[in-house]
Amino acid sequence: MTEVTLSNVVKRYGKQQAVHGIDLDIQDGEFLVLVGPSGCGKSTTLRMIAGLEDISDGEISIGNRVVNDLPPRERNISMVFQNYALYPHMTVRENLGFTLQIAKQPEAQITRAVNEAAGILGLDELMDRKPAELSGGQRQRVAMGRAIVRQPDVFLFDEPLSNLDAKLRTQMRVEIKKLHQRVGNTIIYVTHDQVEAMTLADRIVLMRDGHIVQVGTPLELFNTPVNTFAATFIGSPPMNLADGVVSDAGTIVLRDSLTIPVPKSARAHVKPGQKVQLGFRADNLMPVGHAVEEKGELVDLELTVALTEPLGTETLLFADLAGLEVQAKMLNPRPVQPGEKLAFHLMLDKTHVFDAASGVALRG
Amino acid sequence: MRRRIPEWFVLLLPAFIVIAAVVLIPLIFSLYSSFTPYKLTRPSTLWRWIGTANYEKILTDVKFWSAFGRTILFLTIALNVELLLGLLIALMVNKVTWGQRTLRTILMFPMMFSPILVGFQFKFIFNDNIGLVNNALQSLGVSNAALPWLVDGNLAMFSIIFAEVWMSTSVFAILILAGLFAIPQDPLEAAKVDGCTPWQTFRHITLPFLMPFIFIAMTIRSLDVARAYDIVQIMTGGGPAGRTELLWTLMSRTGYVDARMGLANAMGYVSILLSIAFTVYFFKKLSAARAELGMGG
Amino acid sequence: MDRNQTHRNRRRIYKALHFFGLFLIMEVICIPGLWIVLNSFRPTVEIMAKPPVWNPTFTLDHYRAMFGGAGEGGVPVFLYFRNSLIVSVTSTAIAILIGMGGGYAFARYRFAFKNSYFVGLMLFRAVPGVALSLPLFIVFARVGLIDTHFGLILVYVAMNVPFTIWLTDGFFRQIPKELHEAAEIDGCTRWQAFWRVEFPVARSGVASAAIFAFLTSWNEFALASQLTRSVGSKTMPVGLLDFTAEFTINWGGMCALAVLMILPALILTFIVQKHLIAGLTFGGVKG
Repeated sequence: MTEVTLSNVVKRYGKQQAVHGIDLDIQDGEFLVLVGPSGCGKSTTLRMIAGLEDISDGEISIGNRVVNDLPPRERNISMVFQNYALYPHMTVRENLGFTLQIAKQPEAQITRAVNEAAGILGLDELMDRKPAELSGGQRQRVAMGRAIVRQPDVFLFDEPLSNLDAKLRTQMRVEIKKLHQRVGNTIIYVTHDQVEAMTLADRIVLMRDGHIVQVGTPLELFNTPVNTFAATFIGSPPMNLADGVVSDAGTIVLRDSLTIPVPKSARAHVKPGQKVQLGFRADNLMPVGHAVEEKGELVDLELTVALTEPLGTETLLFADLAGLEVQAKMLNPRPVQPGEKLAFHLMLDKTHVFDAASGVALRG
Repeated sequence: MRRRIPEWFVLLLPAFIVIAAVVLIPLIFSLYSSFTPYKLTRPSTLWRWIGTANYEKILTDVKFWSAFGRTILFLTIALNVELLLGLLIALMVNKVTWGQRTLRTILMFPMMFSPILVGFQFKFIFNDNIGLVNNALQSLGVSNAALPWLVDGNLAMFSIIFAEVWMSTSVFAILILAGLFAIPQDPLEAAKVDGCTPWQTFRHITLPFLMPFIFIAMTIRSLDVARAYDIVQIMTGGGPAGRTELLWTLMSRTGYVDARMGLANAMGYVSILLSIAFTVYFFKKLSAARAELGMGG
Repeated sequence: MDRNQTHRNRRRIYKALHFFGLFLIMEVICIPGLWIVLNSFRPTVEIMAKPPVWNPTFTLDHYRAMFGGAGEGGVPVFLYFRNSLIVSVTSTAIAILIGMGGGYAFARYRFAFKNSYFVGLMLFRAVPGVALSLPLFIVFARVGLIDTHFGLILVYVAMNVPFTIWLTDGFFRQIPKELHEAAEIDGCTRWQAFWRVEFPVARSGVASAAIFAFLTSWNEFALASQLTRSVGSKTMPVGLLDFTAEFTINWGGMCALAVLMILPALILTFIVQKHLIAGLTFGGVKG
């Protein structure tokens, strides 16, 4: 059983602190994604787990064994790097077998393990090539194969897809997920791309500035972001945020005196006069007649559309809400002219209220 | 927390030790002896402290100052000619479409020659009696009398500069050529479309891009400026009548022929400072040029 | 004449000039070397002939004399060659090992005053050989290292280490540090990771650094001429002086020895010439 536990893990570079005391329990076989903007400490955290960075404070254990001072080779992990880090002077076969060769495994066993990994990833025809002769996607596969051959307790992925073009990225995403289903090992995966995080993760750890912002399943993060940062980072397009003030009458007054009732979930948590931000996703602001099945409390709005982005099954509308450009989604789209006024429904149940000063979500 | 000797220090330690043993200690010794009237023939003189007398003697010595001035002049002319010629050769070779590899190989030829060999080679070639140059000039009827290449003061200076340039231009040519290969094509094409003349393109795009390469060549060269000593020592030995006397030949004569080590070491320090000044200057230029092109790091 | 015609003519003139210039330069580069080779095969009488003889006769006299031991010059070429080889190869090997360690430290570790250390090391390389030879002579005489292989090897190691550090630093910097990390994760110790992954990848760079170190040692004169005395330790550049007497020089014999000196350098350089250029530029520019 390979749980990975981080308790109060800190990383300091001189006086600068890159990671501020992270606590995390990763279950055996879990696919955990660390996501956040660049410089948030996610890669540093991963590298501390790998043993490539010293741990300034706190404790990391892998499979109930404290590994703080163990070198990487004794942690029984494997890692896929952003730039793949294939050994350029070795063939694919040698790259795959390197780890077993270092471990002085018998030749027959190396061959068997290498062939098996090659089979899983479809590398059979590339075995005698050097990395320089491979395409980006193939290199990516070899890097993954190298990780498999080692039969590690934990797989670590450091932004493995960010050097691929969009099409390959989608393809490899699927392969990584398949790999996880097949080998079932614990995977810790770092990315700055929220789509990767959403699609791959069992659980997402959202980080910013060396702190954990929120931990949860992809849907938890999507549906109940703890603050405005989580709300805008997860989900595409990012959540619309409109500044407003809570009135005595239990409504939120936006600019131009536009008032919107306080959503049910937030009612107990706001005070009159409090400055707040109203947050809602494009999926929850839809033109009347072009929406999904509408449930719960709805707010009627009439907005002017400034720009459209047709995507096929839906069209993104950039509309003007009290002087603020918001994005809305139109299903079963029809052509919309810029400047056209449309009636919209805002789904209040899926609308969030955040404290304007702290950004923290107000809900019960 | 454990405290260990940092790894980088362990890795650098052997280098520090060797250099300390072979360069630093002798240099400290020579610094000390430059304050004594040390003569090889009389070891006891090593213990007589005479303060800065040696330096005062040097600084008031006309012979020293003319050697110093000549060294600066020699280096200025040689380095500039090497740079310009190297640039010219690189540009010409870069334009060649056929047989470029062969040309590049030929360019590397002088780099393999020992400086002392270069000295002998040109002493032979410039020999007034049997040298290739005079033989050729006379056979072709250009000149009737033998030109005293190594005997006339000005001609001798020209000859040693020629030898020095012959030996060192290839470093410039090869590095600048490497720079030319690495120039991105887009800005060049953009300049052409924008209506730049070839000269303008060269001046505003090619040359700035080449600067780091030029400074690397300069820096590498400046590490080894004193190599010219071998050449001069062999070709003229500082003669005729001191007309090609450089700092280095003067120093070596003072030390080894006159055995006045204290005085020679004082000169040595001047020459060391000179070399260091050159190296530091070009290192600074190199870092600046790198930073400008965003190659630093 | 129309403009097209003028441009065409001008281009023709440029082309001719270009060709002529290149031809001239290559002549100047090649002729001195070829002159040495040619004269090593000519009898002394012909070399000294006045008026000059332009039709060379071929003779192996100088080589025969050179290898025959106490022949006309009686210069023990074999011993000099052996000394040069021992000193150059050993000092190059040691300088590469030490320099590689230093270059690796500069490329991979962060520490205070790194740049100052680096420039400082280079400055030691800049100390002129003549200036160093004076005190070094006295120090070596004290500790009994004059006229030994070991003394000369030591000096050349110290001379070559800084530049080797410069070159290898550049090469190790080219190698992404993830390679080292990947190797460590794959089960290597840091030592193994270096020798199994980083060193093989940087091999060509190290080779070019080695060539430079070798050429420096092989060709060095200023220090060797003071630190060696007998045939037991004199190197070939110093040996060249054996052909000079008070007023005469045995040109033919000297040319033969010169050819022997250039040959190994020539062969070595041509084998790795591609890496040589890459080595210089990588080390410097991207450093």
